[in-house]
Amino acid sequence: MPTHIFFALLTSFLMSAAMTAQASLKLPSTVKVDRAALTFEEPCDPIISPAWREAQEIEGVKIEASPGCSPDNPAWIAAAVKGTNNISMDTLMKTGLSPDAIIKTDDLDGDGDPDRIIIKLEIMELNGKSPDFPGLVPTFDIAPGIQPGAWVFAPKTSGMSTENFESVRANPLLRLPSPVIRVEVGDIVQIVLENTHYFPHSIHLHGVDHPFSHGEHGGQDGVPQTSEVELMPGERRIYQFQARQPGTMFYHCHVQTHTHLAMGLAGMIVIEENRPNNWLQTLNIGAGHVRHPSVAVKEQYDQEYDLHYHAMDKELGEIIQKYNDPRLIARDMNQRYDITDASEDYYTLNGLSYPYTLRESLIIVEQDQKIKLRMLNSGGELIAVHTHGHHATITHYDGVEHNPIAQIMRDVFDMAPAQRLDLKLETIDDGKHSYGEGDWLIHDHREKGITTNGMAEGGSMSSIVYKSYLNGNGLPKVSHFGIDLSEYFTKEYYQRRYPIWQDLDDWASLGSPGEREGLMPATQTSLIYALIGLLAGLLIYLIFAKREQIKLSTVAAVSRLRSPKGGNQ
Amino acid sequence: MVKTTTITFLLAGFFALSANVHAQQPAKPSEHDHAQHDHSDQKTTKQDAHDHSGHDMSQDQHDHSGHDMSKDSGAAVDHSKMDHSDHAHDHDVDHSTHGVQATEHGDMQHHHHMDHDHMMDHEGTMIMGQNLDQLPSSCRSISEEVEITVRAGRKYSAKFPGTAFAFDQQEWHVKPCAKVTFHFINEDNIRHQFMMHGLPKYLYKYGMFHLEVTGPKTVSGTIIVPGGDDTYLVHCDISHHMEKGMKAQLVVGKGGADIPGIPGLTHHNINDTYEAENLPKLSDKADQSKMVRQITQFTTDNLQTYGMMLAGLLLGLFCVPLIRKIPLRRNKENKS
Repeated sequence: MPTHIFFALLTSFLMSAAMTAQASLKLPSTVKVDRAALTFEEPCDPIISPAWREAQEIEGVKIEASPGCSPDNPAWIAAAVKGTNNISMDTLMKTGLSPDAIIKTDDLDGDGDPDRIIIKLEIMELNGKSPDFPGLVPTFDIAPGIQPGAWVFAPKTSGMSTENFESVRANPLLRLPSPVIRVEVGDIVQIVLENTHYFPHSIHLHGVDHPFSHGEHGGQDGVPQTSEVELMPGERRIYQFQARQPGTMFYHCHVQTHTHLAMGLAGMIVIEENRPNNWLQTLNIGAGHVRHPSVAVKEQYDQEYDLHYHAMDKELGEIIQKYNDPRLIARDMNQRYDITDASEDYYTLNGLSYPYTLRESLIIVEQDQKIKLRMLNSGGELIAVHTHGHHATITHYDGVEHNPIAQIMRDVFDMAPAQRLDLKLETIDDGKHSYGEGDWLIHDHREKGITTNGMAEGGSMSSIVYKSYLNGNGLPKVSHFGIDLSEYFTKEYYQRRYPIWQDLDDWASLGSPGEREGLMPATQTSLIYALIGLLAGLLIYLIFAKREQIKLSTVAAVSRLRSPKGGNQ
Repeated sequence: MVKTTTITFLLAGFFALSANVHAQQPAKPSEHDHAQHDHSDQKTTKQDAHDHSGHDMSQDQHDHSGHDMSKDSGAAVDHSKMDHSDHAHDHDVDHSTHGVQATEHGDMQHHHHMDHDHMMDHEGTMIMGQNLDQLPSSCRSISEEVEITVRAGRKYSAKFPGTAFAFDQQEWHVKPCAKVTFHFINEDNIRHQFMMHGLPKYLYKYGMFHLEVTGPKTVSGTIIVPGGDDTYLVHCDISHHMEKGMKAQLVVGKGGADIPGIPGLTHHNINDTYEAENLPKLSDKADQSKMVRQITQFTTDNLQTYGMMLAGLLLGLFCVPLIRKIPLRRNKENKS
C-alpha cells in the first residue's frame, strides 16, 4: 500500500531530523596543535661555545665565570681590557674587531693602567630592507622570529656585516644594545664616531663630564641645534673628554632624537673610579654580566651586571623595512612619523626580549653575595622594575651617590626615560634582602613590559637565579615543577598562532576550538520546523485528497468495531 | 677598453708615487730591486713552494711538485713557463705596480698577518683571497695583466639619486684569464670594502676576494680571473652599503647575467614606490603675493562699489518723481 510507504518515510525523516538536532548540541571539537609543527629553536644559541662560560685567562686578562647560556665571547673581553692594539693577532681574529677598535696607550699617571683610550664606533643597521630579495638584512632576532628594524652603535669591526656570505644573520658584534663603554676617571678618552650609516648622526654624552666644545675637535655635545652640525655618512668625528666624576651614564645619538634613540642608538657609559692597575673592560658588548669588573667595584661587590632597558616602536622600525631609498626613509621618519601618536611595542633588556633574556641576561647569584646592578632606561616611558624575592638598595641616582644614611630599599624601581639607577642587591636570606634561593623573576611591572608586541610572555622579563636553580646548560631549572619553556622558543608563539594553554591538561580543555561542521544551530532548528510544516501540509493534503477513502475506511472500522459488539449483544 | 686600461695604469703609477708612502719605501734602491724584494717577502710569508715557483725565475722542477695543481702537470708546467714570460714583461713595463704591492705587503707583514690568504695591518687594512700566480683550471695562461683603480666614497653616490655610497665606476671589463690588480682607494673617513664573490673556491677561500680599508687610504690586491665568460658581483658588505649603492660588477669576457641593483646599470629586484608630495613650491609664493595684491586692491574694489552707488543714486533720482506722485494722488483724493 502506498500510504504505508509514505508513513514509513515520514517517520524516518522525523527521526533523522531529531538525530541531527541532537548532534548539533555538541560544540566543535578542540583542534590541538601538533607540537612537532612548531619551529623549536635551541634554548641555548648553538653557535656559542659552552667553553666560553668558564673562568679563564686570555692575554693575561682574568675573566670571571659566567654560567649562563650565552656568555660573552672571552676574546671580546680580553680585547676590551687590553685594547685591540695590545693583543695577539690570534686573539684579535677571534673577536672580529678591527685592529684599531680599542686603542689603549700611555700610563700618564704612572698607576699601572693605560690612560689614553680611543674607542671607535660605527653605526650599523639591523633588520633593514633588502632590495635584492624579499627579506631583511642583516638580521637580529630580539625574540624568536621578532626582527624590528634597528640602528646601533657597534664597535668597529673587520670584515662582513653578516656571519658569512651564505647567511643573512648579523655578525655577532652588530647587535642591540649599543655596547656599554667603561672608562676611568681621569682617562683621556676619545670616542671616534665613524658614520658608516646612510643618515646623519652624532653622540651626546648624557651625564658624562665632557667639555661643551673641544679646542681641536670643535663642539661636542652632540646636539645639531647647539654644538655641532650633523655628522654626515662617510664622515668621522672625535668626542674627547676627561671625566672628573664617576657614575653610570648614558650616550645616545642626538640627531632627530625622537626617532634615532628609539631605533637603538643608545648605550650605557660607565665612568669608573680611578684606581691603580685598573684595566677596565672598555666595552661590554651586549651589556649584561661584567666578567672583568673594575678595581673599585671588586672592592665592594662580588659581581656586577649592566642592565639596559629599552623600548621600540614596531611602526617606527618598519620604516626601514618598507623602503630602501634613504630619501623615502628620511621622509617617513622625519616628516610623517608622529611620535605623539605612537606607542612602544617591544621591550628589551640588553637588546633582547624574553625568552632570549634567559640566554644572556640572567642575574646568576649565590647566597650572601653583594651584586652591583647598573640600570638604564632608554625607553620613552617610565618603567617600574620589580625584583621578585628581593629588596635591593638604591645607591646611586643618575650616576651620583645617594647619601649613604638616606639610601632606601625597594622592590619596585621606577626609572624615568634616560634615568640610571645603581642597585646593591644582597642575597642575604633574612626575609627582607632575600626570601631565599630560587628562580626569582625581575621584570617591568607595567604589564605591557612583559609582552612582545602585546604577546606575553615576552618583553624585558628576566630572572635572578640562584646557582642551585641553574641547569647545566645555563638556563633556570624549571622542569622539576613540570614547567616546559620550549614553546617560548618558537616563532609561532609570538606570531600568536599557538594556543598557549592547550597542553595544560590531557584533553586540551583550553585548546583551540575547531571550525563548526555543518549548519549553525539556529538554522538547523528553523530547517527542522520547515520540514515539519511541509510534512504537516502533505498530511493535510493527503487527508483532503483521500477523504472518501478515509470516510469509507472509518465507516468500515466503526462497523467492524460495532459488529463484534452487535455479535455480543 | 684600451683607454680605460691606460688611464688606470697612469693612475696606478701616480698613486704608487704619491699615496702610498710607507716606511720601507725610502730604503728601496731601484724599482727593479723593489720588485725582487716583493718576491722574497712573499716567499717568507707564504712558505709555499708553489707560490715561490710562480715568481722565481730560477725555480726547479721538484719545487713545482709542491703545487696544488701538479696533477695536471702539463698545464702546470705551461703555467710556470707562462708566468716566467709574463713576469719578465712585468718587470719591464710595470715597475710602479710592484712598488705599490711591495709597500702594501711590506706594511701588512710588518704588523699582523694570518696566512697567505688573509693579511691585515694595525689599522684594519685587509687583503683576503689574493691570488698572484695560481692559474684557474680553465686557463692555460694569463691573457692580460690589468690594473684597475677603484675609488669608493659617498661623493660618488651624488650622481645616483636615492643612494648613499658608491664606487666611482659600476662596471669593469677584463679578458678571461686576466691577472687583475685592483687599487682600491677609499676616499671616505670610514671603512669601505671591495668584495668579490663567486670566484672558484679551490683558489679563493669562500670564493671571495676582499680588500678593506678605512679611508682616506689605498689598498691593492691581485687576482687571476677564471677562463669562462662571467659577471662577478663587487660590493661593500658593511651593513646597507651595497643596498644603498656600493655595488658594481666585474665583467669577464662577454660576461654572464647582469647583477641586479647596480646604480645606473640595472634595476633592483624589489623596487620602492614613489608618489608626488605636497612640497612647498615657488608658485605657492606667487599665489601668496596674489593674495597680498587682493588686499592692496581693496581701494579699487571700493571704487567699483562707489560706481555702483552712483548708479543707484541716479536710479533713485529718476524714481523720485514717480514716488512723489503716489502721495500727491493720495493728497488729491483726500482733498476731494
